[in-house]
Amino acid sequence: MSKFAFNSISEAFTMQSLNGQNHGFYVWSVLAIVFFTLLITFLVYKYKLKKISKKIK
Amino acid sequence: MIKKFIHQFASPKTYLFQVTRAYPYIFVTSILIYIISIFWGLFLTPEDFVQGNSYRIIYLHVPASFISQALYGGMAIASAIFLIWKVKLSAYLVKSIAPIGAMTTFIALISGSIWGIPTWGTWWAWDARIVSTLILFIMYLGLISLHDSFANYEKADKFLAVLVLVGSVNIPIIKMSVEWWSTLHQSASITISDKPTIDPSMLYPLFGSMIGFTGIVVCLVILSSKLHIFVREKNKSWIKDYV
Repeated sequence: MSKFAFNSISEAFTMQSLNGQNHGFYVWSVLAIVFFTLLITFLVYKYKLKKISKKIK
Repeated sequence: MIKKFIHQFASPKTYLFQVTRAYPYIFVTSILIYIISIFWGLFLTPEDFVQGNSYRIIYLHVPASFISQALYGGMAIASAIFLIWKVKLSAYLVKSIAPIGAMTTFIALISGSIWGIPTWGTWWAWDARIVSTLILFIMYLGLISLHDSFANYEKADKFLAVLVLVGSVNIPIIKMSVEWWSTLHQSASITISDKPTIDPSMLYPLFGSMIGFTGIVVCLVILSSKLHIFVREKNKSWIKDYV
């Protein structure tokens, strides 16, 4: 863990590689998918548990 | 003493009380480890010479891929315990792990497809690793719908356990697919027997993201198993006290 791989926020956003291609779109899309999938799964289970707890009570 | 401990922990009641106590610690620790590792991997590690910055998807794809197979392994062990010793909690766990396994396999497939566009020039290939992972995803979905299709829970548990054990043959196939067949998917960079082929600066955040993601998935399995125990034991008096 040393220094930042990018010089600016826009560079980190586009993630331009040495071959000139921008890979930011791919990386950020995957991050968003992982984040939202985990978030939705947590929320669904929390909701279902709340619902069944009410029923049991 | 060990037998007593196993016997005690195998009861849904003890399990529920123990995991509820452990949940907040596992949750906070794994979220922290995961966020730090992802930040490290996305912003602090150097660019890969061959793949460019697209390789950073490794910190999201590999943990999901690893866990999707590990969860199936866990289901297979729980199934065997249920069939041999008739431990009710094992059957509950098999059913609880399946949707979480499907979710992680979904992440592994989607992230792999997106990674394939800049790396291979295609989002999909009928490659042995990808197809065997797709089969794993279909198996998870099949196991969930199979259990739900039974009106009798006991029969469903037995059927599910047998099918999980039969399906476990797919796990070594996924693992070895990159060795047995000529695949577009790269071979394993981290193995138990050999030195990793990844530079340490890229390897440490990868380990961190794997540990963090595993912890997050364990939390989801706890929630899922809690829900399943509530459904199955809802008429027991201790459940009412617990809730």
